[in-house]
Amino acid sequence: MRIGIDVGGTHTDAVIMDGNTVITSTKVLTSADVMAGVANALDTVLGQSGLATDAIQSVMIGTTQFTNAIIERRQLAKTGVFRLCLPSGRGLPPMVDWPDDIANVVGRHTYMLHGGKLYDGWPVAELEPAEIDRAIGDAKAKGLKNFAISSAFSPMDPAPELFVETRLRAAIPDAQITCSHSFGRLGLMERENAAILNATLLHFADDVVTAFLTALKTRNLTCPVFISQNDGTLMNADFVRAFPALTFASGPTNSLRGAMLLTGLEDAIVVDIGGTTSDIGVLQGGFPRESNSVIEVGGVRTNFRMPDIQAIGLGGGSLVSPDGKTIGPQSVGHRLTTEGLVFGGATLTATDIVVASGHQAIGDPQAVSDVPGEVVETARLNMLEILDRGIDMMKPGAVQMPVILVGGGSVLVTGDLKAAREVHRPEHAGVANAIGAAIAQVGGESERIVSYQSLPRDAAIADLQQEAESRALGAGAAPESLRVVDIEETEVPYMGQETMRVRVKVIGDLAFETAGVKS
Amino acid sequence: MRLSADQLDDLALGSVFLATGGGGDPHVPKLLTHEVLKRTGPVELLAPADLKDDAFVAAIGNVGAPTVSLELLPSDDEALIALEAFEKQMGRKLDAVVSFEIGGGNSLIPIMAAASRGIPVVDGDGMGRALPEAQMMTYAIRGIPSTPALACDYARNVTLFTTKGTEVYERHIRALAMSSGGMITTVEHGMSGAAVRDAIIPGTVSFALKLGAFLRENRGQAPALFEPLKALFADSIYGECRLIHTGKVVDKSTRIVGGFDVGNTVVEGFEPGTPPVEIDIKNEYLLARRGDQVLASVPDLIVIVDYETSAPINAERLRYGQRIAIFAIGCPDFFRTPEALNVVSPRNFGFDLDYVALEALPK
Repeated sequence: MRIGIDVGGTHTDAVIMDGNTVITSTKVLTSADVMAGVANALDTVLGQSGLATDAIQSVMIGTTQFTNAIIERRQLAKTGVFRLCLPSGRGLPPMVDWPDDIANVVGRHTYMLHGGKLYDGWPVAELEPAEIDRAIGDAKAKGLKNFAISSAFSPMDPAPELFVETRLRAAIPDAQITCSHSFGRLGLMERENAAILNATLLHFADDVVTAFLTALKTRNLTCPVFISQNDGTLMNADFVRAFPALTFASGPTNSLRGAMLLTGLEDAIVVDIGGTTSDIGVLQGGFPRESNSVIEVGGVRTNFRMPDIQAIGLGGGSLVSPDGKTIGPQSVGHRLTTEGLVFGGATLTATDIVVASGHQAIGDPQAVSDVPGEVVETARLNMLEILDRGIDMMKPGAVQMPVILVGGGSVLVTGDLKAAREVHRPEHAGVANAIGAAIAQVGGESERIVSYQSLPRDAAIADLQQEAESRALGAGAAPESLRVVDIEETEVPYMGQETMRVRVKVIGDLAFETAGVKS
Repeated sequence: MRLSADQLDDLALGSVFLATGGGGDPHVPKLLTHEVLKRTGPVELLAPADLKDDAFVAAIGNVGAPTVSLELLPSDDEALIALEAFEKQMGRKLDAVVSFEIGGGNSLIPIMAAASRGIPVVDGDGMGRALPEAQMMTYAIRGIPSTPALACDYARNVTLFTTKGTEVYERHIRALAMSSGGMITTVEHGMSGAAVRDAIIPGTVSFALKLGAFLRENRGQAPALFEPLKALFADSIYGECRLIHTGKVVDKSTRIVGGFDVGNTVVEGFEPGTPPVEIDIKNEYLLARRGDQVLASVPDLIVIVDYETSAPINAERLRYGQRIAIFAIGCPDFFRTPEALNVVSPRNFGFDLDYVALEALPK
């Protein structure tokens, strides 16, 4: 048995699953105190199931708290950014292309320093310890505690970043530091952005993880705890303290995977309708279709691998104009249950429309009895059209595909969707994210420096794949489900010809028969 | 016509498409150019026909391996330093600058340079696409000397070249690029307005703008885009446009060899049982083959786009797992003349095959 929890901006969901079967589930509002919602959801499912806590083998948590913190520009710590690149990049300081609203919250505390490497391992410039110490001194005087460090070609040679990290730690012992080489792949500005977004979340991450662990401990849940990351695999909770940014987009990934499990459909469009937005994604062969473009998180370019999601501003809390012609993107969000008309509030929302049209009985239907019939009908059809347009943009090709509706807001779909071959509303669709978290996969990575002259490239990659596969198996993956998701090669200079750093990542489903993820 | 900061997105998008994988990533040059144009106001885009016969023009752009520009960031003053060093060497002020090639970063560098210096940029380029070497430019093919040329690197080191012939020049600038972190900015091919008119592939900057606007407005899956795209190219100096493959990247391997990104990629078809397409890369996508069958070859254009959005993907951004579509497009007529094929045929890139025009290849 395992527990899956999904902490969303509006709702917190929890499920208990036995293999692929949902034993029980619940959906509670995400309170201002996020952890109270988590505790509430946990108590509800444990109570409903009547299970003893020692029957739970693992707890998997998906959370959008870190993504939302970035998007809403809150809980972000002032962050100092050290980039080793001078004399290259003059006129291009860190955060140069960030939207002002987030850059101002994080602060533009950027320091461009001499250093970094060229493609062939030669220094862009020698490190200048005095210059580095001046920058650290300035950051210290400003009282900064969170830091990101980037350096040209650091995936190839992280030494310059590590040099600054060591000096920074010596000067500011309680500094929280993210080095850009932790985020792999070439592309200095995107990698640096990922490091800054991560660094600015470090204090919040500490609080969130501690609160999760406390909530579980006080319920005597002593099993391993995992948090899902953007590629649908699991991280142990302590890893999240250091890399909260790896949870970005885990929400959509979980909802797509949950929809797949609930319907058995491996190729479908999944529409996850929440309180504020509808996230439209595509399942291909059982996995989320990945986006090819540079991914923006809260308007910032990053190098994360993420599912291709079209977010449109329609959810259960979306504001409806008095004539019903305009819906969203503004939403009352999690205040729906106090501000929506059917909940005794004074705001006409998308949820009020589906109650007024007689499709749902939520809250007090009397409260919407005086909304004119034509307004209700206009708004109802308008919602279907908004979704149709969004689905059409995501369809792979002209053929119609099955559409799976998940998320609490799926009640908004009150008729046929023209863009869909058929519409599925699976049981437990409201908690698909939590189910997706509970069935999240395990990964195995393998990285090595190889000389293609002594070991041909094909053989080297096959070797690394085998090693990654055995690690994934060791973590509990089912052998038949293993697949390669990433192969990265970075040339390593000064080590003889054709010397490469090669990284292979393999992921697979947890094998339920042998359930019990090793931490 | 004047080119303003708000047109840079379209220009970058259109020129990355025409760059056939090379030309460098446009994002950072676009940021820098944007900052410069905000300061200087729009730049004049001058039709070649409007150049005076005795005007003094030079070609400017970046030379190197595009992969390094992901890490070795350019600076806002490199183009101007190179330009001023060139003017000082020649003892004459430039009346306009022109592009080496229509390619991501390299279509923006001349605009940044022209704006910084307060002179126009000529509407056209020396390749009609991107190609990896200096002797492949129309200016060189038409016999315009490439040197004296001036190069500036990331550390503001300035180097003068006076070489015998463009092939030697190419070897020398490549050697400098390799020892300067893999990327330099050069100003070369000082020429008269009359010589520019004789050699240039005209109108490619304005065509890239039009293509960029088209791709932005028609953002969507590649097969849906194909018919209108075909019509757009049919009505241009390019002509034939084909959608030759759709599928997933199952292998991508490039390395920095001799100052270029060299390697290949294998793209498996979406339809089960479709044989994969292999593309050879030397900075640009040069040759597309399905088994033994050639689907398109240099100097015709091979363009890889994201399958879902039709956004072009540069070779240094192409990676394992991406879902893509491959277009092939005829090159401008200039590159099908014997004098041009002498330097840009598949054989010049080490492939044992003669150039066959796209239209003559089986679909």
